[in-house]
Amino acid sequence: MTRRKAAFAITCLLLTAALCLLVARSVHLPGGLGEPQYIRELASRTGALNLVASIYLDGRLYDTIFELIVFSVAVLGVRFYLSERRPSHRPAPIPESHVVRASAEALFPFLLLLGIYLAAYGHLSPGGGFAGGTVAASGLMLCSIAIGADAVARRIHRPSLERLEWALPLTIISLAIVPVLLGRPPLAALFPPRGGGGIFSSGSILLYNLLIGIKVFIGSWVVVHGFIEHRGEI
Amino acid sequence: MILPLLPLSHAFLGFLSIAWGRSARATLICAFLFDAAAIGLYYAGSRWFGPVFVGGWKGPVGIALAFDPVSLAFLILGVLLELAVAVYVWREQRRPYFFMLLHALFAAAYALILAQDLFNIYVILELLTLTSFLLVAYDRRARQVWASLKYLLLASLGMSLFLLGAAIAYGYTGSFNLAEIRTGIAGSPDGPWIAACAALLVAGVAVKAGIFSFSLWLPAAHSTASTAISALLSGFVINMGVVVLIRLDSVFRLDLPLLVLGAVTGIAGAAYAIASLDVKRLLAFSTLSQIGYLLVGLSLSGGAALTGVLAYAIAHGSVKGLLFLAAGESSRAVGSTLIRDLIGGRRRIPTGVRFGLLVGILGIIGIPPLAVYVAKGAILASGKGGIDQAILIALGVGSAASFVKLIPLLRPWNRVRAPSRTGALWVLVLPVVLFAPLAVRLFPDIPSPTVWSGGFLWKGFATIGAGLLLGRFLLHRPLPLPQRIFRAEFGVLAILAGFLLIYLLLGGV
Amino acid sequence: MSYSPSGIDAAIALLGIGILVLALRRDLILKLLGLGLINSSTILFLVSIRFTPDAAIPILPVRDAGIVADPLPQAVVLSAIVINFAILALALVFVMILVERYHTTDSERIESEVAAEQGGEG
Repeated sequence: MTRRKAAFAITCLLLTAALCLLVARSVHLPGGLGEPQYIRELASRTGALNLVASIYLDGRLYDTIFELIVFSVAVLGVRFYLSERRPSHRPAPIPESHVVRASAEALFPFLLLLGIYLAAYGHLSPGGGFAGGTVAASGLMLCSIAIGADAVARRIHRPSLERLEWALPLTIISLAIVPVLLGRPPLAALFPPRGGGGIFSSGSILLYNLLIGIKVFIGSWVVVHGFIEHRGEI
Repeated sequence: MILPLLPLSHAFLGFLSIAWGRSARATLICAFLFDAAAIGLYYAGSRWFGPVFVGGWKGPVGIALAFDPVSLAFLILGVLLELAVAVYVWREQRRPYFFMLLHALFAAAYALILAQDLFNIYVILELLTLTSFLLVAYDRRARQVWASLKYLLLASLGMSLFLLGAAIAYGYTGSFNLAEIRTGIAGSPDGPWIAACAALLVAGVAVKAGIFSFSLWLPAAHSTASTAISALLSGFVINMGVVVLIRLDSVFRLDLPLLVLGAVTGIAGAAYAIASLDVKRLLAFSTLSQIGYLLVGLSLSGGAALTGVLAYAIAHGSVKGLLFLAAGESSRAVGSTLIRDLIGGRRRIPTGVRFGLLVGILGIIGIPPLAVYVAKGAILASGKGGIDQAILIALGVGSAASFVKLIPLLRPWNRVRAPSRTGALWVLVLPVVLFAPLAVRLFPDIPSPTVWSGGFLWKGFATIGAGLLLGRFLLHRPLPLPQRIFRAEFGVLAILAGFLLIYLLLGGV
Repeated sequence: MSYSPSGIDAAIALLGIGILVLALRRDLILKLLGLGLINSSTILFLVSIRFTPDAAIPILPVRDAGIVADPLPQAVVLSAIVINFAILALALVFVMILVERYHTTDSERIESEVAAEQGGEG
């Protein structure tokens, strides 16, 4: 290693160590600040049992919408920036063993069901749209391991996929804006919460969870399939 | 009430432009009309512009939005540049994804000027980073992609530092809301966490705001992007970092770091601008230098100084946008972005574009009736004397000196009739020229008698004269400036060093 | 007095390692991994800054004795994770484009080739 590189490395090391020490020194929390005040209020206002869901899908919905925009821009971007490249030469597919195919056949419907359950019950138990969508997408990945990504892509109707890609965010943003027409502040809850802890106990959170679940499912598939299809060689 | 609709409508139109495909450009018109209507409503005194907790939640759970004069100033700048970019790209063939990125960029920017909550600012800054990095690399040329990837790596590091700072603030005050954090700090002003928290937050934003040691990605990114995007980035997006710094300044006491960082940025930017051989790089470095000026102005406390800063942001944004558009058109006519090629082929540059260049150059060096002079005067007038004045005048000299190289482009004056997109240029020329009378109406805080007094006019001309002389002197004596610092590996080092500098300046250790 | 490592210490250690990887390694893929480490460390930091031992999970019904864990950082971390995923995916796409053009993942070689194409300082 030349002297210049060594000097550079040592400087980086020292500066990083300084950063870490300064941050560590400044954080001396005496066991946190105790229970936050708003806990009891959260439950009564939204009707959801999962307090985390009632925060990010009701209180901080604005942040969640922006983060969904980030996600959509990224998914569309992956498709757009890879679209100009030629799909790679495909080596002959290696036939997967029967064990993998059989277990994929057995697990796939279960994973889809688990994903739908996580998304639909996101306001009652840990989970939510993001977790459910990811689980369902992993089921799809399992299938592409078993029978090949091209076979899976052939079975998916591409125009509908593309239409859903812009329709879902449009729906979510409209749901956020619609309360203005009803005279309520924007991003307020659409359906009034009901007690009881059943599946319909918190109206709009369920709707958002399902929409987000489908969105994450489609988005993850588009991203991973894009990478598989346009893999290249160095 | 209407506040969240401003960014959300842009996001809605963004997705709509993908849906509409071929008529995606129409969404730009809708967006501009909506924003102009919003400004109109504001001036009509509508009660919809009050501060609001989105969705009706109060306390740390809710997200607060507020529309204050800072927001108004940047909204006006945004609408101006939105119109200019819309007119400019009207005849270009772009896929719908381009328009969606533009809309997402504006949605993020408008949401940022309304934001009062640290985590909200984090999410929006990430969206802004993402869309600007995608727009820089839009044409997928290798140079753009590399500049853009560097930007992404450094910006993500910066945002992670920002999130760390926000986490510390939350840990100690129990809220992400700026007002509540301010109360928490007032309760224990000597907490050891405050310096680290503020340093992390400022370091994180500094990467986006164009402060020298943090923004080594800026010259490459702004100069390799296509014309309209460069104009948008240098004119508008860079100011978004400044908006966040203004918000942070109201919570933490950032006077000393802002002064030092502003001075360093201004001087370094001017030095590199003088040494540039490529017109777009020159303009990008000039942006750095002007941001330095803004930051020094921000470090002066007092209401009039803040008004001066806002006026300067609008003035610089319009002028820089105008310059980038004019420079882009000139490069298209001549076929190269190197200054010597432009000077060699200057007879091919269309007249309208030349006029735009003339107004832009006069504007940015600070000739009196035009925009920048008024704003600079406002900031100078509220200076406390001594170091501040000296730095501001030095930066003025530097910015005048940077543009000496472009003066040969303006003569001789011959009429060239060539097709070019000058419509967009006119959108920006008008505000630059009419800034003075408009400023009196928009910013009643600016001390007009002082700014137009004999003493100030003399100072202005003297600064410009000194700058021009300096530029001529340095024209054939190239400054030996290190160019290696813009390579990828130094970016991280520079951010870490900058963080330590800010921490020390805030009184840590 | 024994030292029991907390989440915050782990987060800061990961942050340091991530920054060093991002700065010192030449390979673009390793830089992205370093970025991933930094992202994970900030998430860990955010979650552990409000950690109280023996807190109840914030899902009703909550047992009455004891403190409920703070749900706000957990909700906030969700957004952070999705954003990190989006940025990593796009960064990988750009690395793919660069690799196709320059046939290397070495950042210094790419830097030199880009500078050579531009013909010296611009």
